[in-house]
Amino acid sequence: MNVAGQGAARTTNSKRRIRNGALGLAGLAIMFYLGFIALLVFRRYH
Amino acid sequence: MAYAQANDTAHHDDHHDQPATGIKRWLFATNHKDIGTMYLVFSLIMFFIGGAMAMVIRAELFQPGLQLVDPVLFNQLTTNHALVMIFGAVMPAFVGLANWMIPMQIGAPDMALPRMNNFSFWILPFAFTLLLSTFLVPGGAAAGGWTLYPPLSLQTGDSFPMLIFAIHMMGISSIMGAINVIVTIMNMRAPGMNLLRMPLFTWSWLITAYLLIAVMPVLAGAVTMLLTDHFFGTSFFNAAGGGDPIMFEHIFWFFGHPEVYIMVLPAFGIISEILPTFSRKPLFGATSMIYAIASIAFLSFIVWGHHMFVDGMPLAAQLFYMMSTMLIAVPTGVKVFNWTATMWRGSLSFEPPMLFALAFLFLFSIGGFSGLMLAIVPADFQYNQTYFVVAHFHYVLVPGAIFGIMAGVYYWLPKWTGHMYNMTLAKAHFWLSAIFVNVLFFPQHFLGLAGMPRRIPDYAVQFTDWNMVSSIGGFFFGASQILFAIVVVQCARGGKKATSIVWEGTHPTGLEWTLPSPAPYHSFSTAPEIP
Repeated sequence: MNVAGQGAARTTNSKRRIRNGALGLAGLAIMFYLGFIALLVFRRYH
Repeated sequence: MAYAQANDTAHHDDHHDQPATGIKRWLFATNHKDIGTMYLVFSLIMFFIGGAMAMVIRAELFQPGLQLVDPVLFNQLTTNHALVMIFGAVMPAFVGLANWMIPMQIGAPDMALPRMNNFSFWILPFAFTLLLSTFLVPGGAAAGGWTLYPPLSLQTGDSFPMLIFAIHMMGISSIMGAINVIVTIMNMRAPGMNLLRMPLFTWSWLITAYLLIAVMPVLAGAVTMLLTDHFFGTSFFNAAGGGDPIMFEHIFWFFGHPEVYIMVLPAFGIISEILPTFSRKPLFGATSMIYAIASIAFLSFIVWGHHMFVDGMPLAAQLFYMMSTMLIAVPTGVKVFNWTATMWRGSLSFEPPMLFALAFLFLFSIGGFSGLMLAIVPADFQYNQTYFVVAHFHYVLVPGAIFGIMAGVYYWLPKWTGHMYNMTLAKAHFWLSAIFVNVLFFPQHFLGLAGMPRRIPDYAVQFTDWNMVSSIGGFFFGASQILFAIVVVQCARGGKKATSIVWEGTHPTGLEWTLPSPAPYHSFSTAPEIP
């Protein structure tokens, strides 16, 4: 579903999708960051 | 969100259609065009700063012996030249182009997250002020190479935490930019603009953005661990404490190799826009171009070991990395074939964007071929740490990435400013750049094959002649870039009016060409009709 210039109901939906998308991708980036460090910490002690 | 403000007709005020005045326009910018302009201007400034460092490096290498700078400063210059050019010039230039073009190409009024867009830009000047100020602190700037290999990088003086913090800020900026690109493309396409109808530049950026989100956190993790090794007594990469310095190389190149494609894939997208326009033919195999970009992106994650052949690794690993690296030639070959087939029997004209695109095609291929040579394990044992490697990656990044950026700027500049630029000056810029980039970098292949090591301020006397040629090429290449700045500034200030198509006599596809030139402050306040 695309949103440009469309009605208020879809704009609300799109705002939610944009927010969720951004938070999801930011979460993914943070997961990669902490995950790599955790991996190295684990490797360091095993 | 500002996006919603721009579209919400119930609250649509006139001031949203006009830029703010004075410094506020730039400081609080949420408009994708203003932010795109700031990114592009910033990257041009960084290009000249990084270029000035390169000029000093080439001046020092003009003849054997130590002339201008001491060896420590020389190493600081090579390290920071790379960091400035990669993170300050090439990447922000592509983000600037993405900001300008993606909303216009997909029929959106702006980027999805305009305030985050503002923040991701404004981090950069602080990051690079911090990075460049390391030249002034006791012990000087980082001098261990842009790869930051420990234990060498851990010998950096007081500037070490500044360097790490600057890299973190660059990474945060890139990740936020990538998130913005993805959510914009996935959510704000005009009705009818399905993914396979999306222009190739936007496609290339979508894939690049996923690469950025996958690898920038890995770099951030690696440098965080360097920081804790330096200041908090950990031993991730310290062999004396039971750590493994080779592990850093693995992590770094797991970031570093996709990073190369982050700097090249958007250029592929730009070339795929320009060649059809000036060949007056549709792009040959457009769908296969998308699959090729995606394949290259996937392969970029499994080839990092080719940067580390001389570290020593099992034969099976050597073979895996060698063959997976060579496999990249297949999708790249698809792209080069499709570009060539696009031009085949086309009605070609040679405006500046086309000239830069053609130079990209030939010269990037040279960088690709020398990359294939470096992928061969026993050959790499010979080439490693020589000027052959320097020649290879500069062919990929200068006539590759940077010519791609210049092609894009020359292609879309009239759309941005509403004026045509000085074609004669732009063509002079092209010819000087195309000739001297080869004078600068091609002899470095010979120097490398003859055994000249990289990252040294002095060298054996038998390398003198080709170093002189290379330095002369460097000085002229550097000076010719001033023409680029002149063309851009002149075009921004005035000139012959550009039409909406800009390139009369061609049939460029893409929604950006349906907009007047200059493009209005908000591109599409109502969704465009896509037939």
